[in-house]
Amino acid sequence: NYLMTSFERQRMEVNVELRKAKKDEQILKRRNISFSSMGESLSPEQEKKNAVSTVHCCLSLEEIVQAVNGNNPELHLKATQTARRMLSRQRNPPLNQIIEAGIIPKLVEFLSRNDNVTLQFEAAWALTNIASGTSDQTRAVVEAGAVPAFVALLSSPHMHISEQSVWALGNIAGDGPMYRDSLIHNNVIPPLLALVSTSSLVFQVGFLRNITWTLSNLCRNKNPYPPLEAVRQILPVLIRLLKHEDKDILSDTCWAVSYLTDGSNDRIHVVVETGILPRLVELMASPELSVVTPALRAIGNVVTGTDEQTQMAIDAGVLTVLPQLLQHPKPTIQKEAAWTLSNIAAGPCHQIQQLITCGLLLPLVELLDKGEFKAQKEAVWAVANFTTGGTVQQVVELVQYGVLKPLLNLLSARDGKTILVILDTISNLFLAAEKLEETEKLCFLVEELGGLEKIEALQTHNNTMVYQAALGLIERYFASEVCGLSQLLPSGSMGRTVITCDL
Amino acid sequence: MELSDANLQTLTEYLKKTLDPDPSIRRPAEKFLESVEGNQNYPLLLLTLLEKSQDNVIKVCASVTFKNYIKRNWRIIEDEPNKICETDRIAIKGNIVHLMLSSPEQIQKQLSDAISIIGREDFPQKWPDLLTEMVNRFQSGDFHVINGVLRTAHSLFKRYRHEFKSNELWTEIKLVLDAFAQPLTNLFKATIELCSTHANDASALKVLFSSLIQIAKLFYSLNFQDLPEFFEDHMETWMTNFHSLLTLDNKLLQTDDEEEAGLLELLKSQICDNAALYAQKYDEEFQPYLPRFVTAIWNLLVTTGQEVKYDLLVSNAIQFLASVCERPHYKHLFEDQNTLTSICEKVIVPNMEFRAADEEAFEDNSEEYIRRDLEGSDIDTRRRAACDLVRGLCKFFEGPVTGIFSGYVNSMLQEYAKNPSVNWKHKDAAIYLVTSLASKAQTQKHGITQANEFVNLTEFFVNHIQPDLKSANVNEFPVLKADGIKYIMIFRNQVPKEQLLVSIPLLINHLQAESIVVHTYAAHALERLFTMRGTNNATLITAPEMAPFVEVLLTNLFKALTFPGSSENEYIMKAVMRSFSLLQEAIIPYIPSLIAQLTQKLLAVSKNPSKPHFNHYMFESICLSIRITCKANPAAVGSFEEALFMVFTEILQNDVQEFIPYVFQVMSLLLEIHKNDIPSSYMALFPHLLQPVLWERTGNIPPLVRLLQAYLEKGANTIASAAADKIPGLLGVFQKLIASKANDHQGFYLLNSIIEHMPPESVDQYRKQIFILLFQRLQNSKTTKFIKSFLVFINLYCVKYGALALQEIFDSIQPKMFGMVLEKIIIPEIQKVSGQVEKKICAVGITKILTECPPMMDTEYTKLGIWLMHTHINASVLFMFKVPSMLSTSLNAEALQYLQGYLQAASVTLL
Repeated sequence: NYLMTSFERQRMEVNVELRKAKKDEQILKRRNISFSSMGESLSPEQEKKNAVSTVHCCLSLEEIVQAVNGNNPELHLKATQTARRMLSRQRNPPLNQIIEAGIIPKLVEFLSRNDNVTLQFEAAWALTNIASGTSDQTRAVVEAGAVPAFVALLSSPHMHISEQSVWALGNIAGDGPMYRDSLIHNNVIPPLLALVSTSSLVFQVGFLRNITWTLSNLCRNKNPYPPLEAVRQILPVLIRLLKHEDKDILSDTCWAVSYLTDGSNDRIHVVVETGILPRLVELMASPELSVVTPALRAIGNVVTGTDEQTQMAIDAGVLTVLPQLLQHPKPTIQKEAAWTLSNIAAGPCHQIQQLITCGLLLPLVELLDKGEFKAQKEAVWAVANFTTGGTVQQVVELVQYGVLKPLLNLLSARDGKTILVILDTISNLFLAAEKLEETEKLCFLVEELGGLEKIEALQTHNNTMVYQAALGLIERYFASEVCGLSQLLPSGSMGRTVITCDL
Repeated sequence: MELSDANLQTLTEYLKKTLDPDPSIRRPAEKFLESVEGNQNYPLLLLTLLEKSQDNVIKVCASVTFKNYIKRNWRIIEDEPNKICETDRIAIKGNIVHLMLSSPEQIQKQLSDAISIIGREDFPQKWPDLLTEMVNRFQSGDFHVINGVLRTAHSLFKRYRHEFKSNELWTEIKLVLDAFAQPLTNLFKATIELCSTHANDASALKVLFSSLIQIAKLFYSLNFQDLPEFFEDHMETWMTNFHSLLTLDNKLLQTDDEEEAGLLELLKSQICDNAALYAQKYDEEFQPYLPRFVTAIWNLLVTTGQEVKYDLLVSNAIQFLASVCERPHYKHLFEDQNTLTSICEKVIVPNMEFRAADEEAFEDNSEEYIRRDLEGSDIDTRRRAACDLVRGLCKFFEGPVTGIFSGYVNSMLQEYAKNPSVNWKHKDAAIYLVTSLASKAQTQKHGITQANEFVNLTEFFVNHIQPDLKSANVNEFPVLKADGIKYIMIFRNQVPKEQLLVSIPLLINHLQAESIVVHTYAAHALERLFTMRGTNNATLITAPEMAPFVEVLLTNLFKALTFPGSSENEYIMKAVMRSFSLLQEAIIPYIPSLIAQLTQKLLAVSKNPSKPHFNHYMFESICLSIRITCKANPAAVGSFEEALFMVFTEILQNDVQEFIPYVFQVMSLLLEIHKNDIPSSYMALFPHLLQPVLWERTGNIPPLVRLLQAYLEKGANTIASAAADKIPGLLGVFQKLIASKANDHQGFYLLNSIIEHMPPESVDQYRKQIFILLFQRLQNSKTTKFIKSFLVFINLYCVKYGALALQEIFDSIQPKMFGMVLEKIIIPEIQKVSGQVEKKICAVGITKILTECPPMMDTEYTKLGIWLMHTHINASVLFMFKVPSMLSTSLNAEALQYLQGYLQAASVTLL
């Protein structure tokens, strides 16, 4: 075998991305945008108040700076509100100008103005939007000391303020592992969980969505992972949230679980031991794409774990849901499903057997044949792993499902790695055929399906590993006629042109 | 070396001499240059010359020399000295881009190559300015400069097309994209605009189109690994422009040349490739653009002529359609009956026609024709592309497509029948169509069950193929004969055996055809038929069935080798080999004549060996003759030696490098046939085989080792008695081989043969030295392969000389050495030994160590013994040896007792 020492493939083989950040990923930071004059997530009562007070405010940036630094409480509010409005414009909010104007420390100071709820709220909103920007912009907010202030505001008696704080903290947590952990050290979790557990029924669904999203950001990111203690605190709440009906809440909760499972086996262990898997599997079959995506992702992560963890996912029914996901109309879902399958196929042969029993082979071969390329690529891995770990009988069954033709077709893919994995798979198939003394039959099939021609052409591939693998197959299985006659070493093994002979 | 005029002058003179046709002037000059290239400033002198020399020839020569110098020396290899000093490196990188861009094209190409070699090593980390330097030149507005930059960029980025995804690679690509993608896009747009403002200026257009081609190639490289964010965001710009370029035509860009593709064709075919890349890999994002491309490419095909210069474009364009039409969600683009008919009629059929160029190749360049038509190196041909499109369409539209084509096949056959000598090309096209349609059915047949076929292959064979082959004149309509023979070959598994048997004499007859293609195809078809397997894995065609044809087959095959152009025809020689292999004893009566002809051939080709395949099959045939004959009559080996040794001597004397390894192998084979003695003729050669110069060539090593092994097996005693002075030479070979990581296993083969066959006393004095050499190698570079061979060797030694001797020889090198070897090598590594025989040797060897070696039973070795036992049991299970049976058979009672003691101590229970 040329390459496969480790079969289970973690998600991040390469952490540089050339692609656009995917549309189906969860959003890291969000700005609170006013569509009319205000944020839509506000209570109607609050909106009215704002409407009244926003009519006349049109201060310049300079005036804002003056006002917040002055002593006039009314101007404080007016300036903050103006700043917040600028930051909530749909297009080109002046985040940097506001930061450079140096008013953030003042805004943070206003967060503690329990005497002026409106001011508190406006400041929180403005800071939320600044924190939604780039890392530098978020840093400006954090370094002004906003974190403890926002954490304190979580317990504000005013719902819209605690909601705005949840949002701001979500943006800060979304910046990366460093701020996420600094929030955790600032004890953000207990009041946040308290918001869910004490009175979640009282809240509007929008508030709960915000909390869920912020919780998910607290679970997000690696290098380092969130502290295990924090994860243990959050998990029971996530399980509760998974019982909710709202699709946004479900989606963000599943994202959170997917982040927690995206790691080493002990991380996965903490999640699976809560018994969360059956519900996740159930959600994989949800009609909502925004729920299916993270639920599938989470389960996909779990099966990168140990055989036992994978077995738990199987016991939770993952194999009964995967067939329909392999045929999902969205190519990205097909791809993720195939990736999940590839890791199950990397397991011991009794798990491979379950995979067969649950009817996964047909959709797998279909996908290999007709799927979009990125899904085909994962399907190739699934087949490769299957042929590496499966028993001879299981491999035979796979071949009977017609895997060979689409597999060989993909040898003309424009992707060196995929080609190499296929060549390795073919080599596995030959190993099985050798055990059955069916090598010649397989040679014949490979030739008849146009595979030999493709393998021969790959001997001129520019990638050394690819052409060596192709050459290896040819020499081993298709050139035997030449060398076998009288065991003459062909000049090829003497460092010269290689003799190849197709049957 | 200073950058002085004097040095420039000297260098100029030597460069001039390297161009001299007289080797006695040229070689010393080349040697001199090589001897000074390590000096500081040497590359800078070359760069100065290529920039400033008055003599254009010297400029070009300096640029070529510079590129080769970079190629040899730029890479810094670990543990080897840096061959170019750092200041020179910096100076080169500082100047080369500018120099390249300001040089005339001939020199520009060399420097561009040099840049890409340097870039491969240094870019991006050690050459951070390169990208900005290149991008800045885009603004120069000088398209000569811009094209230079683009070409260089292409040579730097094209590796993105074949390297595996890795953090390092993607980081580099990201860096390139950040710096390059936007300027490239701007350049693309600007160039297209310039094309329309200069639409009437032929020379400007040529330069601009060269840029567009390079840009399109860069697009392919930069988009290969994944769809970059930038290009997704700018897909509209790129695809809209690509699309309009596909539909663009300009009289000024059309070339008169029929063969060479012009700029317009090159650009369009690269665009087809780019579209195919997106369609294959980024379907989801590309979907909105795809139908437009299908239409444009289809129109392109319908309007493109038959000239050879369009071949690449046409085949890329058809391949694009072929890959799209088998995707389920694009089915609708092709579904309409009119569309289908039109594709068949206007795209497929015209591109399957036998063109004037094909006819020319058939007659004058048959080798190339065969390679394309037979060996599938026709990937880029129109016919092949058309075939693939047929197969693609059949995935969803098999019925309609078959219907359309059946009509065509019938009408073409009718045309042919009206007037064969004029219309034979129609029949050729008909056969090709049938072949391409049916080969899909053939696939299905073996994939699933027998599909209900629309073409009755046997019927077509009997009605339309056989009549051509049965005609008395083998030289009439050679193309149709070749088609017919190819038909047999391709459908050999579909046509019933009795039809194949009918065909065999026809094929043998066509070995006499004058056309190279025809007799080559006949030989190849026979070869293929002879390899077919029937039940019980026996050949389908049996030797008795061939009995009536043996003589004519052999005669015609060798006669075919006398046709001009076929004297080294590998297909014919392969058919000779295959015939021998099939006919076995039936060839014995003809051997004297056959071996005479083969040796004659060997003598002739050894003057200038040029066809490796032909040569290989020739030697295979010789070996087969020997094996087959000597199996029946071992004494015949002498007559082979008589026939062959003269040629062999000549080959060895003239040092024909290509053949020497084969000669050694044939000699091994001959020697192995001898019974227990070694003829004096072989012994006379023995000293020559030990000459170091023979062992310098890696290709000689495996066959020479095999030959020496044969010498040892048959003549160990003779060597010990009559050539004892050669033993050090033999061990010298061993010493040389084990010093090399690549050849150490060969060294062990030799050593094992020495241990196995040589009388112990003859090697006594060398034994310790052998072990010391092995230890030195172990210390210097310990590889798994070496250790595996080493383990087999010491166990063989133990089997041969006894465990005590093994322990003593180790401990004589250094006290307690044996224990160390046990602990550090044998115990941890023994499981890695692979191979049936090797494992067996180790199992027996270890058993002996455990039971016959008294020091194992007392002193410090005891503990190791227990471990070894553990290992051994594990290993034995692995070897699938039954320990108990070994105990009872190969050990004495005392040893058995010890062993059981160990087993208890190791708490191992025997099965």
